Amino acid sequence: MSQYIVRIEGLHKSFGKLEVLKGVDLKVTKGEVVVVLGPSGSGKSTMLRCINKLEQPTDGRIFLEDIEITDPKTNINQVREQIGMVFQSFNLFPHLTAKANVMLAQRKVLKRDKAEASRIAEEQLRRVGLGDKMDNFPAQLSGGQQQRVAIARALAMNPHVMLFDEVTSALDPELVRGVLDVMKELAAAGMTMLVVTHEMGFARDVASRVVFMDEGVIVEEGTPEEVFDHPKSERTKDFLGHIT
Amino acid sequence: MDRSPRAVQRLLLVLALAAAMLFAVVAPALALVNPQVTLDQEQGGSPTRFTFVAITDKDASITGMDFTFPPGFDLSSVSFDTVTLEGLVRRPVNVTGAAAGETLSLKFAPSVEPSSTLRVQIHDVLTTNEGGTFPLKIAYSTESTATGTRVLSHRTDDTVKFSYTSLSFAEGISHNLDKNSFVAGWNNVKALGMFFKPQLVVTSIPTVITGWYLALVWIAFAFPIAIVGGLSFAFMKMSKIPPLRWIAAAYINVIRGTPLFLQIFVAFIGLRIAGFRVDDNVTAVAVLAMNSSAYLAEIFRAGIQSINKGQFEAASSLGMNYAQSMQYVIIPQTVKRVLPTMTSEFILLFKDTALFAAVGRPELMYQAQNIVANTGNMTPFVVIAAFYLIVTIPLINVVGRLEARLAVSEHGQSPTEKTKRRGGRLMNELAQSVDPYRATAPDSIHDDNERG
Repeated sequence: MSQYIVRIEGLHKSFGKLEVLKGVDLKVTKGEVVVVLGPSGSGKSTMLRCINKLEQPTDGRIFLEDIEITDPKTNINQVREQIGMVFQSFNLFPHLTAKANVMLAQRKVLKRDKAEASRIAEEQLRRVGLGDKMDNFPAQLSGGQQQRVAIARALAMNPHVMLFDEVTSALDPELVRGVLDVMKELAAAGMTMLVVTHEMGFARDVASRVVFMDEGVIVEEGTPEEVFDHPKSERTKDFLGHIT
Repeated sequence: MDRSPRAVQRLLLVLALAAAMLFAVVAPALALVNPQVTLDQEQGGSPTRFTFVAITDKDASITGMDFTFPPGFDLSSVSFDTVTLEGLVRRPVNVTGAAAGETLSLKFAPSVEPSSTLRVQIHDVLTTNEGGTFPLKIAYSTESTATGTRVLSHRTDDTVKFSYTSLSFAEGISHNLDKNSFVAGWNNVKALGMFFKPQLVVTSIPTVITGWYLALVWIAFAFPIAIVGGLSFAFMKMSKIPPLRWIAAAYINVIRGTPLFLQIFVAFIGLRIAGFRVDDNVTAVAVLAMNSSAYLAEIFRAGIQSINKGQFEAASSLGMNYAQSMQYVIIPQTVKRVLPTMTSEFILLFKDTALFAAVGRPELMYQAQNIVANTGNMTPFVVIAAFYLIVTIPLINVVGRLEARLAVSEHGQSPTEKTKRRGGRLMNELAQSVDPYRATAPDSIHDDNERG
């Protein structure tokens, strides 16, 4: 058994002639919260999306524990069950209630029976603070509430790792806190997390490791203190200078 | 006297024979030979001409006749004429008479000569609505040429039978309308009489409704087949396998790029010439289904592709395979989106059944054309217009509601609230919404560029 939950080796990804990822190596151990920072277009979202093959890597290898995701023989759907992903645009199923959103994949993918799926859905929705919104449709929820449903939906699958792709970027400032609180609670509970975000406060407080990406490569990585307070690279300094 | 029963029998037989022979000589001879009656109407309930023909007996001149019609016949407006026929020559007979109740009594002066062919025409006998076979009882008075004395004979057993069929319900109404003076006035206005003749409205309905049923049955089979076909072609066209895409694209383009009228002719005439013999209704259903499936394929494809890519990604990220994502996430949302367009396609398809009149399939248009050709009146076209509208107007209404519901459900009303909302208020809400395509509540409408 690999000591790493996620292991990325020499990942390349091109869209046509545009090379977005130019050889990324990253290892995430169990219980780690890795926050990925970087300017727009640095490839951080693309890297995240390669991990569950929403994007097909051009080159390189990715492992989830001992399974090579990039092996064409791997059943990607079985791997995806174990990788929770939360999107910037929530992507809740608009025709289903909050609870039904959380239940659907449990029922169809994990083949849980209705009672169990229902119990877990209620448990996860309460965990993200939406115990009173279970029967609401996504359109009746605020953005922050929708994003928390999306987190509950991913958690209900008992993932080994959670990927967060700029999950607060589409939210009004006053709604961001609720989502971040849920993520902090998750981190505290020991969930392995890979977080692409612009929330520096969150990165500083919660991250066990901060990774700075620019132009398709990892420029610098280290503890929050190392990266925020003593950045080695000029590009990191420049980026952090613009943010703060 | 000791006589055996057998001898008694024999005696009685002889007596009976003798009496019969005597009677045959003394009693007035049967005055009419081979009597027949014909009617000029096949159905009851209308003024009918009765034509009575018989050959008078060689020994008797007819001086008068009584015709007794069955109960319920109206003789109040009858007229009559009588002729004798000798080869091709008609000789009028001077006749007087009057009707009383159901009996018409005629007197001939001079009397009708023996051995002549007598024809009596009775006009405008109003028959009963109920059809059947009826007796016409005939009595007559004769002058025997043998004795010179006038003997009146009532031969009530001398009946001829005639029959007609029942008047249909619609024709019954039509006959009543014929008598209505308002209707007569209405029909005298040319535009009204030509396009909205009440009698023709009533009488054409039973015929054109069969065409309506036929069109509905076609559609009832064709549309579900078209939905299945349309979905298949839609998925083929979105397939990763190029030949499937090519086949679907070719099919959709050829069908959508040629007139349905042409497709009907190819199917009905071309296939027949080529030696294929398929049931006409099966052919009609096949043509309609094939035509509609091409249009539905494009509707479905557009519907599926209009679903945000993020929906598919979210489903995939939860481990759902392509089929599961389609079945539980994409298709349910697509159905809601394409329902209005699909309903419109159904309306188009139903209207297109009219084209089958050109190949003689007895649907609405064909039925109406037939009646118009027979009557020279446009009313049946107006009648079938109504039959088309009975189907299409409610559906047009449904399309409108579906579209309004869709607009609401995609930005911020629950299904339970939706059903309570109606027209004006709903439209106001639509108008007030800032960005109808954003699937989030108003508090999240936010400019992404503010951050990062």
